[in-house]
Amino acid sequence: MSGAHHFLTDTRFGAGPIHRLDPRAKILGFFGLTLVGATTPPTAIWAFALYFAILVFLVGLSRLPLRFLLTRVAAVLPFVAVVAVFLPFFHRGGGREFDLILGVTVTEAGLVMLWNVLVKAILGILSMMLLTLTTSFPELVAGLDGLRVPRVFTLIVSFMYRYSFVLLEEHRRMRRAMEARNHKGRWLWDTRIVGHVISSLFMRSYTRGERVYVAMTSRGYDGTMPAASPPGIHAPEAVFLTLIVASLTAIRIGVAL
Amino acid sequence: MHLPDGFLDTPTVLVTSTGALVTLSYAVRRTSRELGERTVPLLGVTAAFVFAAQMVNFPIGAGTSGHFLGAAFAAVVLGPWAAVVVMAVVAAVQAVGMADGGISALGANTLNMAVVAVFVGYGAHRALRPLLPPTIPGYLAGVAVASWLSVVVASGAVAVELAVSGTVPLRFALPAMTSVHMVIGIGEALIATTVLATILASRPDLVHSPPRGLSATARRGTSLTPPKTWGFLAAALAVALAISVFVSPFASQAPDGLERVGQDHGFDGAAESGDRGFTPISDYQLPGFENPALATAAAGLVGTLALFAILFGLGRAFSGRRSKAAAAGGAVAASLHPLGGHEHKDHRHSGHTHRGHSHSPHLPEETDPDHDHHDDHDHEHGGDS
Repeated sequence: MSGAHHFLTDTRFGAGPIHRLDPRAKILGFFGLTLVGATTPPTAIWAFALYFAILVFLVGLSRLPLRFLLTRVAAVLPFVAVVAVFLPFFHRGGGREFDLILGVTVTEAGLVMLWNVLVKAILGILSMMLLTLTTSFPELVAGLDGLRVPRVFTLIVSFMYRYSFVLLEEHRRMRRAMEARNHKGRWLWDTRIVGHVISSLFMRSYTRGERVYVAMTSRGYDGTMPAASPPGIHAPEAVFLTLIVASLTAIRIGVAL
Repeated sequence: MHLPDGFLDTPTVLVTSTGALVTLSYAVRRTSRELGERTVPLLGVTAAFVFAAQMVNFPIGAGTSGHFLGAAFAAVVLGPWAAVVVMAVVAAVQAVGMADGGISALGANTLNMAVVAVFVGYGAHRALRPLLPPTIPGYLAGVAVASWLSVVVASGAVAVELAVSGTVPLRFALPAMTSVHMVIGIGEALIATTVLATILASRPDLVHSPPRGLSATARRGTSLTPPKTWGFLAAALAVALAISVFVSPFASQAPDGLERVGQDHGFDGAAESGDRGFTPISDYQLPGFENPALATAAAGLVGTLALFAILFGLGRAFSGRRSKAAAAGGAVAASLHPLGGHEHKDHRHSGHTHRGHSHSPHLPEETDPDHDHHDDHDHEHGGDS
């Protein structure tokens, strides 16, 4: 459909040691980095510098296309802009005040909040990008399976992944047919036509789901699926996890002191 | 509505994640029990549908666009617990697979889109269904209101989470979020009603919570429906109470007198920021919450209720008018009333509708299926466009 949905194409960018790691190690590492980053007080600027140093090092190792990475990271900026818009009205207690133009002032605490939102949002999206660009979606699901995420959940996710292609392709065909018939959605009342598209998408997907279920039953499906075993935790995974855990712990201890 | 990382503070992350996790694990168990081994294929494909449908943008006007959320729709068609699972799967895939929404905010995003939106939509739908005329337009009007409310209340939940975290004060976040989503909600309502009208016309057996004509037969067939309904209503009420519990501490925090509060906050803030700067937890005393904030929240509440009432009234008037018009031209749609006919014991397996039936004994007297269905005649084929 569009470039944003890169995961559907199952293309992996670049190749490197990070790509080959066991998905379980990568999920733990990058989730850990995001969560530890999101709970760090924003005033510890050096801590964020170190988080980004880790991420930049990993990006370098995995040789991802920088331009693509940066455009995706920029997608988070509109959210930050919304927070920024409210800052002049938001005189949270005290601190120095800074004059912007026309007597609009921003407090120091307000600026800290803006920094907090900006840095953590970028940190989060960057580490998720690193994870998904070095790990194919089936690998991710296998990794979640290995981490004891309930099997119903991972099975639904993997089904959803498979059928997303089919449904998006169906939607693309319908869209092309609409355009061929000169459809131009412009206003809210044109939404009704979008409703028709979604209706037939739903009917087709649900009946497909039923057909798939019948087909699976006829092949002996009893509600369970054979699990694929992930590569396993070896030396590279141990090194990767130890490095991440050690540096995150060190940084958080530094912040607390 | 997908919050990124960093917009919520640690306590909010913990509370929302716990809430989402508990609800989700209950929903998974409940759904597996109801659907059995069909759970995975059916919910997987439906999740793919919601995922694809969320990528279909609709125009709001002036170049901007919104997208379908599908929570209320999924709740009406699949039932609330399956809808929770489907919406949560979609939110998780968007966060992990597409970096849409942060990992630390995944609990909050799941709570907003998969729990609050689903149960508000389902609760409103179940509450309205007995009040509205038992016709297809009446039913669809209820679905429209439910869809609209689900989007608006979920956006309100986002605003509350942002305010509790101290990111944006409630008096800005609430009006900003809800006003935008009141417009987006109209698109949501239009899409949900169109899709449901189509499904009711061709596969009414798929709908978990069908129009009253159908549920009447179900109630006569099995005695299971009423207690279920109450359970769902109770769940919806619980969600609403949870939201008010989130909001009420701040209400009680604001004493009388605007100046006094301002003074207090000035002192508090200065003392605090001098000491330890900014830590996430210090945000728990919401700075922006003064009397104007309360006024805004109250205004939002009243406005929502008023809009709700207007939509409700319109729906009633609309459906009444349409039914009469339909009565005039009645017999045209005689071939289109499979709704009353079938037994509906297990609505998913009951399968195929009996198009040949000319009379449906289970329907209440005032409901003439021919008339009901006539209204949807004009859009039932639209899906193939």
